[in-house]
Amino acid sequence: MDLENQKRVKEYAEQFGPENIVVLLGAAEGEAAGLAAETVTAGDPTFAGPLAGVSLGLKVYHICEPEIKAEIDEAVYDEQISMMEMVLDVDDIVNEMTAIREQYCKY
Amino acid sequence: MNGNAVVKGTSYVLVHAPDFVINNGTTQTVERIVNPDSDYLKSIHSSIRSYEEVLAYPPNQVYLGNLTPKDLEDYEFPWYDKEVADAKRFGKYGELIPEDEFIALMQICDAFDLLALEENFVSKAKEKLSKHPLINETMLSKLKDGQSLEAIKEYIDEYKAEPLYFNREIVGYVKRAHEIDDTLSAHVLLENLAYKASGVLALLHLINNSGIDREAIDYVIDCSEEACGDMNQRGGGNFAKAQAEVAGFVNATGSDTRSFCAGPAHAIIEASALVKSGAYENVVVFAGGTVAKLGMNGKDHVKKNIPILEDVMGGFAVLISKNDGVNPEINLDIIGRHNIGTGSSPQAVISSLVTDPLDRAGLKITDIDKFAAEMQNPDITKPAGAGDVPEANYKMIAALGVKRGDLERTDILNFVKNHGMKGWAPTQGHIPSGAPYIGFAREDILEGRIKKAMIIGKGSLFLGRMTNLFDGVSFVLQENSRESITEDTTRVIVKETIEPLIGIVAEDSELGKDNVLEAISLAENKGYRAVLIEGDEAHRKMDDMLRKKEIDAAVTMHYSFPIGVSTVGRVITPGRGKEMFIATTTGTSSTDRVEGMVKNAIYGIIAAKASGVKEPTIGIANIDGARQAEKALRELEQKGYDIKFAESARQEGGIVMRGNDLLAGSADVMVMDSLTGNLMMKLFSAYTTGGSYESTGYGYGPGIGEGYDKIVLIVSRASGAPVIAGAIEYATQLVKHNCLKVAGDEFAKANRAGLKQILEGLKDRKPVATDEEVKPPVKEIVTVEIPGIEIMDIEDAAKALWAEGIYAETGMGCTGPVVLVSEANISKSKEILSKAGFIK
Repeated sequence: MDLENQKRVKEYAEQFGPENIVVLLGAAEGEAAGLAAETVTAGDPTFAGPLAGVSLGLKVYHICEPEIKAEIDEAVYDEQISMMEMVLDVDDIVNEMTAIREQYCKY
Repeated sequence: MNGNAVVKGTSYVLVHAPDFVINNGTTQTVERIVNPDSDYLKSIHSSIRSYEEVLAYPPNQVYLGNLTPKDLEDYEFPWYDKEVADAKRFGKYGELIPEDEFIALMQICDAFDLLALEENFVSKAKEKLSKHPLINETMLSKLKDGQSLEAIKEYIDEYKAEPLYFNREIVGYVKRAHEIDDTLSAHVLLENLAYKASGVLALLHLINNSGIDREAIDYVIDCSEEACGDMNQRGGGNFAKAQAEVAGFVNATGSDTRSFCAGPAHAIIEASALVKSGAYENVVVFAGGTVAKLGMNGKDHVKKNIPILEDVMGGFAVLISKNDGVNPEINLDIIGRHNIGTGSSPQAVISSLVTDPLDRAGLKITDIDKFAAEMQNPDITKPAGAGDVPEANYKMIAALGVKRGDLERTDILNFVKNHGMKGWAPTQGHIPSGAPYIGFAREDILEGRIKKAMIIGKGSLFLGRMTNLFDGVSFVLQENSRESITEDTTRVIVKETIEPLIGIVAEDSELGKDNVLEAISLAENKGYRAVLIEGDEAHRKMDDMLRKKEIDAAVTMHYSFPIGVSTVGRVITPGRGKEMFIATTTGTSSTDRVEGMVKNAIYGIIAAKASGVKEPTIGIANIDGARQAEKALRELEQKGYDIKFAESARQEGGIVMRGNDLLAGSADVMVMDSLTGNLMMKLFSAYTTGGSYESTGYGYGPGIGEGYDKIVLIVSRASGAPVIAGAIEYATQLVKHNCLKVAGDEFAKANRAGLKQILEGLKDRKPVATDEEVKPPVKEIVTVEIPGIEIMDIEDAAKALWAEGIYAETGMGCTGPVVLVSEANISKSKEILSKAGFIK
């Protein structure tokens, strides 16, 4: 996750309280989604950004996960996301995300 | 109305840049600041590939055009551990230039004395570059004498210059151009000079590949992601002109177009519109490569024990020209664009770029045979977690197709395979963005493998922090629609069926104007077209008309060809009535006799091939220097330049031709020095008339020389109407067979076979006692000829004037070699030359 985004996530967590934050990802594949999820839960695995050594444990989901899809108006989802849903390996993403959440999510 | 512009040629170049990866790629420079002791920095050196490894890397061979995108499918993924067996530096689109030659090219491109090189390095690099087929003497002359390593290191330390490395050693520096201004810092200037040099290389290859006259380019558009300027105009720009200047596009102007990676697609649409509107006829869209992105994903590669694969800079150029009825058209009716209101979701982006324009044109996704979006090499991106970018794009396009009902969901993978390609381009932002396929697309369409290709450029505008917007445009390249031609293109095609127009300047004819008019009428009876150019300044008018393409070639009685250019005559031999080319007959190919004869052989081959003789045979007249010339030509042949040697009709055979062979025409091309050739021409043309009237043959022929870009043929003042008519026919054939392209191809082939080294080896190096470097004064227009100087002394005479601050050029006048100076300097020049003993 780039350094600017890490900084924004960290600031929001301080401003609104980590329990009130959900981070939504749009990464194109499982590994990248997993890395971003790890960054906002366990901390920056590359130890380069503001979240290095900071374990926020935030709630984090990928836009294609069923929990999120259920929250979104069907027509909007169809217009904005359905094409990518067809392209992405959704199962792989869900597995990665679930694993990270189970391990590090605090909320 | 269809006046769509066409893609007339392309070039693609790569620069091997391992030392720039280590020292200048931003991933590495940032790491050096943030984490100077990191394992990554320690392991970089062992992760760098050699030139040979980079050359044999399959995606690079595709980029250069030695393999096709389809061939790449035969290499099992990943590719970094695969090798192309017969990898070549030069491909049909360009080359992979080694780092040392590239650093020297950077100095050639340095107009402000910013780049200094170490003395041993520069002399070796110069030696190598002098063998480069596209780097000419003018460019080589820009290389400066080197400095000692000590002086280089001292300067770097004292003035914070940016060091240049080769083989991990310091070999030079780029200095800052201002003490405070960050935009002119050594760091920025190094990036910009490297960018400029790689763009120039792409332009040189484009000229070579397309065969266009570099003076015919009207406009150039640089479409990279680089910026040049100073602190008051950080993005002042016009890299385009800076690069076109080095490449010698003297009649072009230009500008830069920017939109991150979408730049090339925007620029091509702009260029096509400029051509279609008639504002310009030939526009070049091009870009060089980016130093900053070298080794961008290096950490991921090293972590996975893969060599650092981002070790080349890329460059490309595309020539967009007026519709010629042949080349693929850019269809401006099917433009896709990401509008400000489109939104940034992938679905919105792909719809706006792919399906919206197709809908407007009533086409289905499957009507486009090939799509080319971001053609990044997945070998580079996959280990870095960015996936297979082209494949992701194809899947997205297919998924949209499914949503629209153009294809079934189960067809997605088939669609990706049939309408997509594996990516082969280096991850240099604007370089992979649709552009890499244009060269192959042109060929696929010309050769009938596909009918339509869509080129898509996408750009991440948010990186500049001025907007969160995304960007992209697309266009369709399609088969030339000859049958639906309207006015504009009809004219183009009709022009091809009309005979070329030949201009004639014959002010000095000893046989009078009627003789010339009779010649034109003789030629017209055979279906050729010629126009008489008259008046006080007929030669200037002729040059003007050639430049403006109002005439296709010219025939004249004298002309000042530069040294290096001489004319190839064409006669009918009396023995068998056979046609023979005499190489050469006027002008001077070289001040060295044997070198001149070797060059004359090549000039003769060019003239013969451009007159329709497919495989001309070569003989050398039995004159002084014949044996040495033979030796050199045989060496050239052995090194790969295809020469068909003729066989003497005499009993002993051989390629050296006796007088009888001349009469019989035993060779298609008879090679001799130009003074002997001149004599022969007069004999062959006038032996039936007693001498005052040349009655047979085609005259003294076209001036040919490396880089010479006009078709001007010589006849003599005693040439009768049949000979002038013959010259018109000869000129017409040369135009139709595209003599200038034939010449370019032959010189390129000869140079690849080492022509320059062979010629160098011929010369007895004269002691260069007086060879202190005399630099020419500021160039001015020179129009007055000073004749009467020995051919061997002509260059020294010009230098003697330079030394006195007078700008002078050398050339061939009608009576022999001349020095040309401006009118203002004529009397002073004569005085200097006379005092120095050059003239009486």
